[in-house]
Amino acid sequence: MLDEELLSTHQQELRRGTVVLACLLILRKPNYGYALLDLLERSGFAVDANTLYPLLRRLEKQGLLTSDWNTDESRPRKFYRTSDLGAELAGTLSRDWDELHAAFHTLKDGS
Amino acid sequence: MTTTALTDRYIEATLRRVPSRQRPDIERELRTSIADAVDDRLEAGAEPAEAEVAVLTDLGDPARLAAGYADRPLQLIGPALFLDYTRLLSALLVTVVPAVAAVVGLLRAVDGASASTVAGDAVGAALTAGLHVAFWTTLVFAVIERVPSPKLPTRQWTPAALPEPVGRRTRYAELTAETVAMVLFTSLILLSPVLPFERDAAGDPIQALDPWLWDTGLIYVFVGLLVASLAFAFAKYYARPSVPFAIGRAAADIATGLTLLWFAANDHILNPAFVEAAGWSSGTPKWINGIVVAVCIGSLLSAVVTALRDYRQR
Repeated sequence: MLDEELLSTHQQELRRGTVVLACLLILRKPNYGYALLDLLERSGFAVDANTLYPLLRRLEKQGLLTSDWNTDESRPRKFYRTSDLGAELAGTLSRDWDELHAAFHTLKDGS
Repeated sequence: MTTTALTDRYIEATLRRVPSRQRPDIERELRTSIADAVDDRLEAGAEPAEAEVAVLTDLGDPARLAAGYADRPLQLIGPALFLDYTRLLSALLVTVVPAVAAVVGLLRAVDGASASTVAGDAVGAALTAGLHVAFWTTLVFAVIERVPSPKLPTRQWTPAALPEPVGRRTRYAELTAETVAMVLFTSLILLSPVLPFERDAAGDPIQALDPWLWDTGLIYVFVGLLVASLAFAFAKYYARPSVPFAIGRAAADIATGLTLLWFAANDHILNPAFVEAAGWSSGTPKWINGIVVAVCIGSLLSAVVTALRDYRQR
């Protein structure tokens, strides 16, 4: 039986970085932190709030996301949106992912 | 819902640890995020107080969250530096500690102290030296770990980026030698007022270096410049080459040389009382000043040449 801790360590390793790609893809439509957290979870990318919020700022600093404050509603919300550079990165990363997917299939079929 | 004291405290604890220019923006966003999360739990039927506690518990330690915002490492010395750190630390410990113990033991023995005093003082000095070496080395590496270096996530790694093994090892040996020499030289300077090479009528040691250096505090400026030069040597080894670093390194080296040159030119190297007690001729200080001036000019030239070479290699 697979040890729970061992499993979660390896899962974490495997999933690290997929959140960035997921964010860049989701944020092609502007959205704010908490809603994004919810969307990610529903799309199957479980991520902690305390990882996601700093990550969004880091991606913004790297020029992969842009942001705008929306103060129309009762609460001011910072809306993030994937920049051209971010879209370019997302495209590259997606192709990477697809190639990995294909490579895994080849491995599994070969055995 | 309105934010309560608990949320305020959480936000305050987070903001305290992030750079002040980011604070207003992070505060607005974090407040909304917490309020949104609490609302979600209220809609699901939770008690207001419970909901808030649950949301803050999910967010976790504010120090960790703040480290994420500030992009600060949650480790003293990371894996990239750890091996160099342990290597340098052990190299320093096995060279400096026995050297200090030997020098102190020798001085006590020359003083005619008993064997137990000699051994006791040598061990004490070795322990103190070991603590200093460990502390300062760790501090320098912890600072390097926190010096921001440009992050380029899309850059591809190629084998061309591999460090030159031989060149790097040579430079590492140079760095180690420079550090050892610096530590010994600085300790000698700072210890010189208490080193009993010559004694006055009351039996107190006469210091070899001019007391003027201590009275004016300039000796600490000089030691500070030495430390700065060493810091730049470390920066050159670990950080990516950049113009500000090269300028800083050249400036520190040149300032060190000029300061020493100025001391020598104004006859502020040796203590006249020490020269007299040692029975040296009056010409000796002139010779020593002359040698120091020559060495300074040499090191100034080498600093300029190094700076020009670094500039050309960019």
